[in-house]
Amino acid sequence: MCRTGQQSDPHDAGGEKTSDAAFAALLEDSTEELYECAPCGYLSTLMDGTIAKINKTLLDWLGLEREAVVGRMRFTDLLTMGGKLYHETHFAPLLRMQGELGGVALEIRKADGVRMPVLVSSVVKHGATGEPLLIRTTFFDARDRRAYEEELLRARKAAEEAHRQAEADRARLQDALAVLQSSLLPDILPRIPGMETAAHYRTASPDRLGGDFYDVFPIDATRFAFFLGDVCGKGPQAAAVTSLTRYTLRAAALHDPDPVSALSTLNRAVHERYSGGDPRYCTAIFGTLEPDPGTGQVTVRLASGGHPPALVLRADGTADFLPTPGGLLIGILPNAPFAPATTTLGPGDTLLLYTDGLTEARTGEGRSALYGDEALRAFATDHAGRPPSAVMEALTGLLDGFGDGLDDDTALLALGVPAARPTTGTPT
Amino acid sequence: MSPLNLAVRDAPTGPVVEVKGELDYDTSADLRDLLAALPLKPGQRLVLDLARMEFCDSSGISTLIVARNHAQSAGADVALAAVPASTLRVLRVVGLDQIFPLHPDAESATGT
Repeated sequence: MCRTGQQSDPHDAGGEKTSDAAFAALLEDSTEELYECAPCGYLSTLMDGTIAKINKTLLDWLGLEREAVVGRMRFTDLLTMGGKLYHETHFAPLLRMQGELGGVALEIRKADGVRMPVLVSSVVKHGATGEPLLIRTTFFDARDRRAYEEELLRARKAAEEAHRQAEADRARLQDALAVLQSSLLPDILPRIPGMETAAHYRTASPDRLGGDFYDVFPIDATRFAFFLGDVCGKGPQAAAVTSLTRYTLRAAALHDPDPVSALSTLNRAVHERYSGGDPRYCTAIFGTLEPDPGTGQVTVRLASGGHPPALVLRADGTADFLPTPGGLLIGILPNAPFAPATTTLGPGDTLLLYTDGLTEARTGEGRSALYGDEALRAFATDHAGRPPSAVMEALTGLLDGFGDGLDDDTALLALGVPAARPTTGTPT
Repeated sequence: MSPLNLAVRDAPTGPVVEVKGELDYDTSADLRDLLAALPLKPGQRLVLDLARMEFCDSSGISTLIVARNHAQSAGADVALAAVPASTLRVLRVVGLDQIFPLHPDAESATGT
């Protein structure tokens, strides 16, 4: 806007006066009005707490008449019992010490007995010589804030309850998982006359439901069966196949302990159950142990379905794979070929079964290389001639050394004939 | 980590699926989905060209079996071409080298 000539000046000046007046009216230019009807409570008290001045806002909140308050009541008379105590023990001493105090949450008691949460600030007014004259106090309505805090508190309680429930659910599921997991692996291996056994299982999945499995169990008065395998996949889906596999093999072995026959039965069961668009399968070695009490030797007959070959650690310090080429993954074809093999364990010999979690552990710089079959054979050679428990301890240490390079489940089973053992075949 | 890249082309013998990158737990669902939607006629041969497959875990092996099942249910045949040495070793251990016809490259698998 630009001004056009002098004439307009007086007119403009008059206009400004008019708008100033209107503005002042809007701005409640009366300080008295501003004091009385401010959106907060004002209170002036003598140093002993006697109320000297109070605004209308606070009187309205309290539901009291000015005459009943001024000169007749003290600040603490406005407070609840708890507020009075807090005032005596904290508020008043701090105010005396500091000369001012801000944002203290208190409750005032209205004439009808209803409590009202407020935020109180006080400042001491001093005279010319520095002596305290009176206390000025403001009250802010904290009802909304209190409601908000209560809402927060309710939400926190609800969250805590939900958390507690979740923890309880988690504990219950952990218990259920532990029971299921224990149904997939033997608690302890049975004692086999003339043999020593050791097993180790390590799962990579956080819910501890693994896809590897092993078992050792008697099939008649003289013979024992064993198996160890690996279900493709992890977690509950894999565990379901593990369960099917374990109980099918146990039942099949009682019916016909021939290794190829047992794996064929398992193959039919898995294929029948899981053929289709989401095939599930496993690899396994199943075998039988026939100790000869006369010689102390144990005849091992086994068969493999797609499983890495077992290792035989000999008393003479050598270790070699027991090849089972051509055995197919279990569960992918209705009729699958399985590869049988036989060996004899003499005193000091140990048969070692493992899953590929061991041989495919990532090692070396950047965890890029795999541990591999040859490294395992070399490791086994170093421990050949030692009892199964010692071999297992060494392998457990090896697994520990892989650290986070071990990203699959690993099952290990060692079945050995003790070295310095009399030929009776009775364990001591 | 290189992701899985899949490309399909038609050969006289049937579709050729080129598998590039890593076929593992995270990516094998892509190949399964592709296979499920892949039209196959009886007598055709589904060829999986693995020349540029960099990694294959047990989920990947599973998916190869899915491919075989898919081909069989369509009355078709399946073949693997240019299987990398590390995967070939696994296939031998689990006996799948007897189940899948193996070809040195896609050309010989498609007879071109």
